[in-house]
Amino acid sequence: MPNSDSAFHPSTQDELAQFVATNAASERRPLISIGGGTSAPKCSAENGIEVCLDQLNRVIDFPARDMTITVEAGVRIADLTQILKAENQRLPIDIPQANQATLGGVIASNWSGPRRYGCGTMRDYVIGISAIDATGRQFKAGGRVVKNVAGYDLCKLLVGSHGTLAIITQVTLKLRPCLETSSLVWMAFDSLKQIDAAIARVLNGATRPIAIEVLNPIATRAVRPLAAAASLPILCVGFEGATKETQWQAETLINECCPFEPRSVETLSGSDADPLWAALTDFPIKNSSRTFKVNRLPSQTIELMQRATDLGISAKGHAGNGIIWGHYPSGSSSTFLLEGTSEPRLWEELGSSGDWMRRVKQQLDPQNLLKPGCLPIG
Amino acid sequence: MTLAPPKSPAESAAATKLINRLREIVGEDGLLYRTEELLVYECDGYTVEKKVPDVVVFPTSTDQVVAIVKLCNELDVPFIPRGAGTSLAGGTLPIGGGVMITLTRMKQIIEVNLRDRYAVCEPGLVNLHLTNHLKETGYHYAPDPSSQGACTIGGNVATNSGGPHTLKYGVTVNHVLGVEAVMPDGSIAQFGGPCEDSHGYDLTGLFVGSEGTFGICTKVWVRLTRNPESYRTLLGVFETVAAATQAISAIIGAGIVPAALEMMDQGIIGALEAAFHFGFPLDAGAVLLIEVDGLEVAVEDEAVRIEDLCLQHGAREVRRARSAKERLLLWKCRKQAFGAIGRLSPSYCTQDGVVPRTKLPEILEFITDCGKRHGLRIVNVFHAGDGNIHPILLFDERDAEQVQRVLLASDEILTKCLDLGGSVTGEHGIGVEKISFMNKLFAPADLAVMKQLRDVFNPDNRCSPGKMLPTAGGCGTESHPHKSHPGRRAAL
Repeated sequence: MPNSDSAFHPSTQDELAQFVATNAASERRPLISIGGGTSAPKCSAENGIEVCLDQLNRVIDFPARDMTITVEAGVRIADLTQILKAENQRLPIDIPQANQATLGGVIASNWSGPRRYGCGTMRDYVIGISAIDATGRQFKAGGRVVKNVAGYDLCKLLVGSHGTLAIITQVTLKLRPCLETSSLVWMAFDSLKQIDAAIARVLNGATRPIAIEVLNPIATRAVRPLAAAASLPILCVGFEGATKETQWQAETLINECCPFEPRSVETLSGSDADPLWAALTDFPIKNSSRTFKVNRLPSQTIELMQRATDLGISAKGHAGNGIIWGHYPSGSSSTFLLEGTSEPRLWEELGSSGDWMRRVKQQLDPQNLLKPGCLPIG
Repeated sequence: MTLAPPKSPAESAAATKLINRLREIVGEDGLLYRTEELLVYECDGYTVEKKVPDVVVFPTSTDQVVAIVKLCNELDVPFIPRGAGTSLAGGTLPIGGGVMITLTRMKQIIEVNLRDRYAVCEPGLVNLHLTNHLKETGYHYAPDPSSQGACTIGGNVATNSGGPHTLKYGVTVNHVLGVEAVMPDGSIAQFGGPCEDSHGYDLTGLFVGSEGTFGICTKVWVRLTRNPESYRTLLGVFETVAAATQAISAIIGAGIVPAALEMMDQGIIGALEAAFHFGFPLDAGAVLLIEVDGLEVAVEDEAVRIEDLCLQHGAREVRRARSAKERLLLWKCRKQAFGAIGRLSPSYCTQDGVVPRTKLPEILEFITDCGKRHGLRIVNVFHAGDGNIHPILLFDERDAEQVQRVLLASDEILTKCLDLGGSVTGEHGIGVEKISFMNKLFAPADLAVMKQLRDVFNPDNRCSPGKMLPTAGGCGTESHPHKSHPGRRAAL
């Protein structure tokens, strides 16, 4: 394991490039890039050096009227949020531990949260990227305009690449305006099955949710310990927009869900909703025991959550996207594993695309210096 | 009119062998090879450069595409995929001849899954046919290039196409969940699929927009989008282009993201009015076509705010589409604007530069000056909300001297876009047309990484050669367009 005391903290992109180039030409130690250290997968490279980008946190350009910003990758999410908010703008991606997490880390890990149903994920916002490859070569792709198809889209390649192809140093983001308000409708049901039926109705209903979250009872206790019906599964639907718009949607949604007999219904709006948005966002990191994330078709979300519930596993789903986060109870053995929740460990497990991914990795990092052995890729 | 040069006996023998082998794969009716038949395929929507392929094949299945690609590799013949040939950048120009693989017979909608918001279709499916197919469902496929009545989903994937409504909804890549492709080595790969967040690298995102250089897309998983409940479609009438661009900045600056925000200048308004008789004001300097969509409870307030902002910034009047029919007519005018250009001149060439939104006044002024300097008429119809300009340069392609001026003016306009911090293409792609700009847009290291990636997927560069990346030997550093454009045969 790398020793965190020995981490290298470059203060400029050039300094980092020099460092990486020197390493590639001499010692060839594995390089483990980290941002805020909030979501990096476990990396067990022998003799590795941590490269921490926290000092690379400058704002390069913020032409607010163009609704784009160019920043270095080490900027903390909380700082970025403040800078954008001053111009009534935002990056609508939910990120836990925003005081700690860095933009580069969030991009490398492709983090997302409840709003992904309505707002998409990082790949939809990164329009320009600069990075350093394993030899210290600095390269870029994309640009600073919101629409651009010149050159191969390396932004997409690097989003979610976990620092295994290159170290992201600078990013240009497309931004969205802040909206007037948001609201969350929190509904407890007797069963996940009823929630499944309610979701099918909501998806074709009159409203346009920005988030559709489902919590099994164990997850409910973690997210809202004080809520009245904490032992029931929850359907929580989020809206954003003008006050009139969110109010109308919350009321309409509740009416649409009535036939499915919710046990309790509660609407939180504006600043009252903020703590719940935060709790929903933080769920994946709320437990130090083994965490898993699985992807299914949206319609399969509830089935998987039901199995998790039967096994006593805490689970929360982005039901509109088919993404389920869960925590195994501490001390549970591997035989307790919920089928299909283990991350692929080999390229071969990724089907016909895995072989191409392996070739991309070999081409861009032939010496396997960038996060070797880092799962799920690399 | 370009006729293939006479073939030597050895070339003729090789061509006969190629055609015979292809016939075994697709049959006689899946094949075109006579000179007069091939002429249709000598260019796409970018008519400045022309080159006929040696043969055009029309596969009907992924297996046939595999067999064709393997044969091309065996015989060392270049190959290039083509959809409807609506590319405006020469994306389907068959540089070096070879086999053109036209996918228009693979046009099935394989699956529609509304519960999980996706559809699976073949690459030759016409963009609009997918949305028409979904008509009664309350869903649609969001990317809507102006050529959507003709262009194919596979072509959209290759160029990462945009369209008017991408301002709010994003471009093709934001709506593609996965692709199946026949790779340049003849193997079949699937990147992504119906589920989000597939494991590993986002090769789907990398493949989209690779302009056919990473392989031939044979199946696409696309995201479906719910139809908005309501629309408000406005037409802001301005005395000058400058006033219209001020209004654009004001609207976006107020935190409103319209579904679409399009500008048309006086030149194009005249052509549209003659073609469609909509009642456009012929004396206006520019009009803005602005659409907001969403819930009925919200769109009216947004529309009123936009009206106010337009009037505050010098709009003479703001009209509204009073019915669904009128809205559709407005959009028909916009999307068929290029078709109306036939009234203005025999040929046209459109550019696809992008500038930061706030630089629109500057670039439009430059375009006007540039037209004057080169003695060219230039009209504008474009995606103003994205800063994506489409100056349309009018000319007669039979006049070589005019063509030369068009190319020089185009180069100047795109260079200016770069100077203003923009890009040379927002949605049409690099193709062959803008390949000389890649060296200006990107540093050698950037291009080297891109080439490394092409080498992963297409190491022999037999698949869509001469596209996207400048070839070694300094292509793109040429200052004369006729030297830097490898496929140019017409007029020059």
